[in-house]
Amino acid sequence: MTSVTWSFVELVSRFLHRDERDAVLGDLVEAGDTGWQSLFGILGLVIRQKAGLWKSWRPWLAAFGLALPCSLLLMGFSISISRTYQEAIGPTILKATGLTVGPGFSLLLCNVLLLIAWSWTGSFVMGSLSRRTVWVSAVLSFLPCLFCLGRFRIDSLSRFCLLLFLPPAIWGVYQGLRIAQIKLSSAVLLALAITVLTIPAWTSHGPWIPNWALSWPAWYLVATARRPGQAPGPGRDAGPVQRTS
Amino acid sequence: MLGEFEYLLISAAARLGDQAYGAAIREDLQAATGRKCSIGALYTTIDRLETKGLLKTWIGDATPQRGGRAKRMVRVTPKGVQAGKVFYHAVMRVSRGASWVPNRTGSAS
Repeated sequence: MTSVTWSFVELVSRFLHRDERDAVLGDLVEAGDTGWQSLFGILGLVIRQKAGLWKSWRPWLAAFGLALPCSLLLMGFSISISRTYQEAIGPTILKATGLTVGPGFSLLLCNVLLLIAWSWTGSFVMGSLSRRTVWVSAVLSFLPCLFCLGRFRIDSLSRFCLLLFLPPAIWGVYQGLRIAQIKLSSAVLLALAITVLTIPAWTSHGPWIPNWALSWPAWYLVATARRPGQAPGPGRDAGPVQRTS
Repeated sequence: MLGEFEYLLISAAARLGDQAYGAAIREDLQAATGRKCSIGALYTTIDRLETKGLLKTWIGDATPQRGGRAKRMVRVTPKGVQAGKVFYHAVMRVSRGASWVPNRTGSAS
């Protein structure tokens, strides 16, 4: 086996779990396969493993039920908040005393909290639903962002106003990957807070479907929350191999 | 019920006993069937059978002929033994009377 093809084999093997990588490379060495046989063999294994992850409904829900629609909706909401800020707070600070706030302040505060809560819960669920395909979900979140950033045409706003939702979303994904479940009491509190914060939207005549599209992850967290006495578990798509030596 | 390749893999692992690991199972399968067994098919099937609780795997010792790399050892669980038996008896029953099956006197009809 040439060192060049073996380098490719080792490169592709990096997509495997560390223990499995060792076992597979060892098997290839022991079997005496040629460089190309080893390369195609390990490529086949990696492709089968990655494709196998998509047999479950979880990665599909995370990618196409959460990442893609939520990033679009949250970008719109980020712009809406920026406009509310301009109308309610901006003039007050710039033209008036700076110590008083306009009548839209409570709505702005409510919307900011809602943006943080929606971004965090959506991305937490995205990360916890399918941690091994989270990079696909992340790409599907960023594609609409890049598209909208390139076509942003509001002179009075910076284009980065589109991305106000990103910091809580990144934090949510990180937490979702790390802990996968939250305590039931915290989940209920979060879901109730989000529901209460959306009440002003119910009273307006705006479309209500986006609110539910962004709110269901909070109730999903309640449904899958860690019950009292239940130990924190691994991610929901943790691998089957018992890696004990 | 097991698939054909799953049955072959479980049978090879059961036959090899304590010496059942990736490369040994692959070699055994290739010798028994006369067909190439890809490492992708082997490890994907091992993962699937382990998820079903029919196999148990763990990381074993490293040996010099493997470049000092560890083996992924395989053991058939009692549930796997039962699944193997069910498949074997089903094949025996369904094959009865087929022209290529030897009759009771030992010769193919």
